[in-house]
Amino acid sequence: MKSLTLQQVQDFLRSLTSDYDVQAPIALPDGTRVLGRLDEGPLAIPGGRVDSKPTSPFFPQLDRIFAYRRGSIAMQQPVEKPLLVVGLTAEDADALTFIDEFFAAEYRDDVYFNKRDRSAVIVVSGRCGKDGGFLKIAGGDCDLEFVCDGERYVLVPYTEAGKRLAHRAPEGDEVSSIADLQAESDALPDDDRQVLERASRLLQEDRVPEEFWAEIADRCIACTACNLLCPTCTCFEVFDWTRGEQIERYRLWDSCQLAGFMREASGHNPMGEEHVRTRRRIHHKLAADRTRWGRISCSLCGRCDDVCPSGIGIKAVTREIVRRFGIEKENGPET
Amino acid sequence: MGRPPTRQQAPAPLYRPVPCTVQSVADLTPTEKLFRLVREDGRPFGHRPGQFVQVSMLGAGEAPISVSSSPTRGPYLDLGVRRAGELTGLMHEVLAPGAEVGIRGPFGTSFDTDAMRGGDVLLIAGGCGLAPMRALIQYCEDRRDEFGNVTVLYGARTPEDRLYKDDLAEWSRSPHLDCRCTVDEAPPDQQWDGNVGVITTLMPPLEVDPQRTTAVIVGPPVMYRFVISELEAKRLRHDQVIVSLERHMKCGVGKCGHCTIEHLYCCLDGPVFRLDEIIHLKGAI
Repeated sequence: MKSLTLQQVQDFLRSLTSDYDVQAPIALPDGTRVLGRLDEGPLAIPGGRVDSKPTSPFFPQLDRIFAYRRGSIAMQQPVEKPLLVVGLTAEDADALTFIDEFFAAEYRDDVYFNKRDRSAVIVVSGRCGKDGGFLKIAGGDCDLEFVCDGERYVLVPYTEAGKRLAHRAPEGDEVSSIADLQAESDALPDDDRQVLERASRLLQEDRVPEEFWAEIADRCIACTACNLLCPTCTCFEVFDWTRGEQIERYRLWDSCQLAGFMREASGHNPMGEEHVRTRRRIHHKLAADRTRWGRISCSLCGRCDDVCPSGIGIKAVTREIVRRFGIEKENGPET
Repeated sequence: MGRPPTRQQAPAPLYRPVPCTVQSVADLTPTEKLFRLVREDGRPFGHRPGQFVQVSMLGAGEAPISVSSSPTRGPYLDLGVRRAGELTGLMHEVLAPGAEVGIRGPFGTSFDTDAMRGGDVLLIAGGCGLAPMRALIQYCEDRRDEFGNVTVLYGARTPEDRLYKDDLAEWSRSPHLDCRCTVDEAPPDQQWDGNVGVITTLMPPLEVDPQRTTAVIVGPPVMYRFVISELEAKRLRHDQVIVSLERHMKCGVGKCGHCTIEHLYCCLDGPVFRLDEIIHLKGAI
């Protein structure tokens, strides 16, 4: 396996812009790291997960579905240059596999796959997290992984596309194994995962009462940041925009935390009460999606916990659920 | 569950409205109109009773509308549309015969007429719920030999608010159907010599054979629990009751997330559900 210095990685990514629409972590003037194009800011490969929604290159906040002009509709077409998204974490890549499955199921969503098809994803992991933290190794769920050993990035391909990319990388030092890094990754604590699993079971067993959601709802200010940063939140609104003779139809990220999310024209609103909406945010990921898709749709990226001004991100809420409802009950064993 | 939609290869592109022409427009009530549409390419829509379409009005977006006509009547769609929001308001204002409108679909599950075949059917509609129910009533009329007793109960707020008054009059006269109507109130300026009271007041006198009856309920959310109680009193099991649930689907294809009921998507797994499969889900009924 090749291993490259950070400078070589950066030069390599720049060399790929001729064939790919490269989106990678860039640093904004305020220090925020987001996915952006290489001319939009300085590359910031080390530092862990980006602050923006990592699945946004394929599911952007605002996406034009079609434009209508003088009797004809021009539908969105597949992107001309395939996307290369760099800098996802293992958790982000896991989330991406979930929404890949979601958008492919039943009716295949071509607006999503116009960008996702032919794309490639590179995860960055190892000893390059925020403040020197270790980032879990994905070991798959992407085309290529850059595993940092603290100084160099080892290129580990998982797909044919990943192998082709690695082949194009400059010759660097050869590394025979990342076993020591893998061991370090395997030793990372998984407490949050265990809490998530236990909270998921409690929700599926309907052991979390409405009063709990009312308490959480009281703390929610409906800023919607949790939804807007979540890599597996895929809800969208559809609206038309008239510009001169042209009418354009867009989809725009929506949030289930807003009062009007389900309101119907008749006035009927199945999620008119705040505690119902708060429950949905957590229940959907931990119970509903598990029932429908066979897996929890939270990858524990931690964005909602970091951004929530009220301290009710998914890790915080699941900890509280387990603490309050996961204890041994008179009628049953500990969950 | 209702009969699942045929998962035809999704039309590509998925969100492209198919151009249709308005064949006719009729006033149903002061706030509701009936639009009859045909596809510009002349092809049938391939719909079944209970399904819905996404109606696209360029400039105003899309909205889900129940199909009010049975495919046994012909290759057209009847849409009974209440003026409620921006899109339906625009439909009322600008759609005249010959106008173009975009359609995606039909989508969703349909009433499982195969399961109903050979037995009695009790069709209970309230308010706008008669829109999708009309498609099923027409289907039962057109394939009358396949069903036992067909009973239609319909409740509206006032006599003037009743949808499909011509159809209701015809069904009331028909020897093939037992059609009974009620209104919540009959203002003095509206002629009405029928029952006054909510829809459940029509139910106690009905003779229902619980061994061979399927009940179908479509109406405003507040109606379901009361009607279900009456059906339980007539010893119908929940797996003999079919409901159609209203939700605001933005996409119709299970992506936008606005119509979820726990793990179900009303646009994919519904809008037609068997009661025993959803009654335990929070927010379903």
